[in-house]
Amino acid sequence: MNAPTPAPTGPSPLRSGFTIVGLLTLATFGSLWVDHQVSLTSQAMLYVLVVVIGAYSLPLVPSVVCAVGAVVAFNFFFVPPRFTLIVESRENLIALSAMLLVALVISHLADRLRCETAFANRNEQRARQLQELATQLANTNTVEDILQLGQQTLDAAFDGPVWLALRQPDGGLAFAAKMDSGLHDDLNDGLQCCMRENAVLGPGTGRWPGLNAWYLPLGNKGQMQGAVCIQNIAAADTPGREHAQAVCAQLGQTLWRLRLTTAMQETEAESKRQQVQSTFLAAISHDLRTPLAAVVGAASSLQTQRDKLSPAEQDKLLASILREASYLSTVTENTLQLVQLTNTTQPLQRDWESMEEIVGSVLARLRARDPTRRIKSKVPEGLPLIRANPVLVAQLLANLLDNALKYSDDAIDLVVSADHATLQVSVKDRGNAIAPDQYQAIFEPYSRNDQSGQRGAGLGLALCRAIAQAHGGELGVRRRQGGGNCFTFSMPVDPQQPQGAPP
Amino acid sequence: MSLRVLVVEDDREIRSMMQSSLTVEGFEVQTAVTLSEAGALLRHAPPDVVVLDLGLPDGDGVALVQQIRLNQSLPIIIVSARHQEAQKIQLLDAGADDYLVKPFSVGELLARIRVALRHRGTALAAAVTTHSLDDLHVDLATRTVQRAGETLHLTPTEFNLLARLVRNAGRVVTHRQLLTDVWGPEFTEHTHYLRLYMGQLRAKIERDPAEPRHLLTETGVGYRLAVA
Repeated sequence: MNAPTPAPTGPSPLRSGFTIVGLLTLATFGSLWVDHQVSLTSQAMLYVLVVVIGAYSLPLVPSVVCAVGAVVAFNFFFVPPRFTLIVESRENLIALSAMLLVALVISHLADRLRCETAFANRNEQRARQLQELATQLANTNTVEDILQLGQQTLDAAFDGPVWLALRQPDGGLAFAAKMDSGLHDDLNDGLQCCMRENAVLGPGTGRWPGLNAWYLPLGNKGQMQGAVCIQNIAAADTPGREHAQAVCAQLGQTLWRLRLTTAMQETEAESKRQQVQSTFLAAISHDLRTPLAAVVGAASSLQTQRDKLSPAEQDKLLASILREASYLSTVTENTLQLVQLTNTTQPLQRDWESMEEIVGSVLARLRARDPTRRIKSKVPEGLPLIRANPVLVAQLLANLLDNALKYSDDAIDLVVSADHATLQVSVKDRGNAIAPDQYQAIFEPYSRNDQSGQRGAGLGLALCRAIAQAHGGELGVRRRQGGGNCFTFSMPVDPQQPQGAPP
Repeated sequence: MSLRVLVVEDDREIRSMMQSSLTVEGFEVQTAVTLSEAGALLRHAPPDVVVLDLGLPDGDGVALVQQIRLNQSLPIIIVSARHQEAQKIQLLDAGADDYLVKPFSVGELLARIRVALRHRGTALAAAVTTHSLDDLHVDLATRTVQRAGETLHLTPTEFNLLARLVRNAGRVVTHRQLLTDVWGPEFTEHTHYLRLYMGQLRAKIERDPAEPRHLLTETGVGYRLAVA
């Protein structure tokens, strides 16, 4: 991070006094030591020397004091009559006056030089700070980070305190740092005003010069992101204000860029979501329309042609109505559950459940559609309990078994197995094997592997996978040895099984 | 004298379907569209069975069930969609006797009504103390459970659990009701007790515990002892 700018205050007055006394004592003793060996002019040069040293190392006022003191001391100790402040000869008076003038000019020049050096240093430091800020902002992707960087940079550049605030959608301000409410109200007015006027307020700006703080906007008109208040500043510190403005302009730009990026990403996500939704709707309406057509066709045929139909034909139509209607009910149920599962952020309602029980209830429901008992279940004893939503897991198994019944004509195996960490349920059929390049697509909400010519529940597998994932598990498919497919649902087993009941 | 059924259902098609199929079976059918209408009918001409739809326009029916249970023991059968689990359980716990999931067949509706009426009929005479289905025989008075003539040995908790289901044979008993009656009211959240003990009970009673014939699971709601 940036090194803090050295404080503009010089050494304390006491230290300056000591320095002056020391320098003058040094010059006096030096001159006394060479007294009568060198001319008065050379002794004067010794005093001029300490004036130069004083001017170089002391601020303006002490160095002037030092210059005057040197002239007085030289006059007192060396200019005849010695040990008085009286000057006898006109020659010495001119020399003393010239010496005083030289001393003062040196002090002044040295001070200016020092000021300019400090100014150049500060400028260089600020330029470096701006550059570093730009580099760091380029790698920043959150509002919090930008505010933190801004706070650090401004804290380093000014005595402060510095307050950053972001404009909220409701027009209010959110401060980056905590503060008490009295200060909050004071700052709020200034910050709001500077955002409204899109201009810097405070000393030296011509707006609100009576303040002891600068108020700077973050961003430009129409894209105002917030504002900054820097307290305890000097009115004449124009370069400082310009630096603050440069920092704030960078912060404002970065905030604006971030806002634009976020808005763009949101729009993209929204358009993608709408696209998915419309594909989804198209798939659903296809899944609903086909069985509806069958129901309407069969029912209207019974209504208008009942007399001409044999009892066997009538039964066939009635059976078709029932079958199609129950299929409609399944599709509706699946759709509803899928939408609920994918649109909620609420955690699943779970309880301790037994997979044996869930399998039992699913089989009880499915046997009506499996009169020849093609489904063979294999459930071992002593399965661990699982934390699950039983209605959803039952629906997952029912969908898998339903599909197996629909797409194959042979026996279907339902196998449950478990170890200490995972519970697996596999549904194995002998139907047409699904091509490996379809393994992903069949789980998409709007795809259908329709090679068998049978109508599929377009959403069934998508819902199954969503249910598996909601339980922290997975649903996969692989080719079965000897032909057919094996769908496997696996979910984690909580290693902490519940305590048994009191007997 | 024919038995009277009150059907509370706001959908016209389902209402008229239930009315005609129940009339054909010899029931006298009254219909109500709202809970308040049902309340009024219950006061003036108490029926023998109530079939109550969930999600009526003027409320969720809990108040009606509680009101009926204050002074009447007539059977109440709830009709609900599959995803209305929580409401369904709430009404069962409030005293409703059984439930049906939409879409249901007329056969299912009639079976539920028959079971409910049988219980009410015997409830007035004597409580159910025996149960027989296929080769399973349970006698609560002598505390014996037999399968194919062979006596089964149940632990006291297993027996209490089975007894609770026998007393409500054919009707669903919610998790909460079972836990309260077998273990005590402080155990109503300990559903894993039920999973463990029902598992043990099935292992002793059922030929194939994975596909039970007697101890049926009503997923997410409770258990039911099969009567047919």
